[in-house]
Amino acid sequence: MSKNPLHHPTTEMLLEFAAGTLDTAASICVSAHLHFCPKCRAELQNLSVIGAHLMAETQSEEVDDALLSAVMEKIDAMPSETAHKQEATAEGAYPNCVEKLISNAPRAPVWKRLSKSVNIARLFTGQNKYEVALHQICAGGKTPKHDHNGTEYTVVLQGCFSDERSVYNEGDFIVRKPGDVHQPMGANNGDCICLSALEAPIKVTNPFGFFLKPFLRINPM
Amino acid sequence: MHKEIAILVNNKTTNKPNVAVLKSGKKRDDKWSLLLTEVGKDRSRKAFMELFKHFAPLLKSFAQANRHQGTLPGMAEDLVQEVMIKVWQKAAGFNPEKASATTWIYTVARNCRIDMLRRKSNTQHLPLENEDFWHEPDEETPVSLLRQKRYEEHIKNSLSQLPKEQDEILRKVYLEGKSHYEASCELDLPLGTVKSRVRLALQKLQVLVAADYKDEFNHE
Repeated sequence: MSKNPLHHPTTEMLLEFAAGTLDTAASICVSAHLHFCPKCRAELQNLSVIGAHLMAETQSEEVDDALLSAVMEKIDAMPSETAHKQEATAEGAYPNCVEKLISNAPRAPVWKRLSKSVNIARLFTGQNKYEVALHQICAGGKTPKHDHNGTEYTVVLQGCFSDERSVYNEGDFIVRKPGDVHQPMGANNGDCICLSALEAPIKVTNPFGFFLKPFLRINPM
Repeated sequence: MHKEIAILVNNKTTNKPNVAVLKSGKKRDDKWSLLLTEVGKDRSRKAFMELFKHFAPLLKSFAQANRHQGTLPGMAEDLVQEVMIKVWQKAAGFNPEKASATTWIYTVARNCRIDMLRRKSNTQHLPLENEDFWHEPDEETPVSLLRQKRYEEHIKNSLSQLPKEQDEILRKVYLEGKSHYEASCELDLPLGTVKSRVRLALQKLQVLVAADYKDEFNHE
């Protein structure tokens, strides 16, 4: 495996991830980054420890004995212990959550040509706040210079690309906000594959005004 | 370090050594980690019931703290049930070298709570369970194990010493499942104040692994 990532999600994002409040699409990207980044995995573990001890010190709520009986009954009704299933972690080229997204999709994702040197494969994630997709930047390819309508998270899964600010290698986590204009370029020595989540542009079509207020968090868990 | 090398606790019925021994010679010796190990190894119902009696009331209160839309009455009990059944099913995968039972059960509960909220508030099929986002804690090295154990002790001691206003926000984030923005609305504070209190709290709790690390894209 190549060297550790240099660009990380903020601690604030890791905290929200640890607490389970981070948006689904952003969580997918953070999870993909964690696959490559031992440092963020260690921080995340620390953040979970905090949550655990906060939980352990809450005022406990009385639990009816019937609940224990119900749980014991369910346990007794379980088929007798077979060898414990080894957790099926997808052993593919991509981080676990991306592999699962691909294999659990109702339709297999397909690569579509976005421009001369960029292909895109959209991933089904069951939410519509962000468009989650794989991007392939061909070796030496230039993408069009573009701005962002909403926040965009990108994680390099394979190869590397660069823009005006830096070079990004496997595992690097990049955030772009509206107003950040950039022009990613593929490396010369091979294709680059990235996972990205792009906040859906504001749509006026929704009668409930859901997308009209992008700053009002509704937390679609 | 050497003094604490594996004090074996004998399981009365099977006489099998049954203890959470850390490879560095440090032992995860809190009661709950020992019980959970027993559940995993021997499928002990007695140990499981003891865990239930301790954790179910905490889990119920954890479930009730979250009052998001989609939270329904009876959900707290459902969550306690779901989590404890998962604990039974997955106990064999508990590795006391990597986390304490409290942290392990908390992560199970947190994942269950997220999945439950998603199921209740989302009509769309979600192709992922929250578990799929998580990675096993890293393979243990003596250094990281020692660090991990010290960290749990450090957290236990320092949480109680946090200033009230920092503690309050951490509780909102972790227990009530509030975003920073929601916390700022509820406490009637500017978002920046909430963020800086969180940052201060995390500094005191020494979350960051490498202190010299700086993220150039860390823009608010």
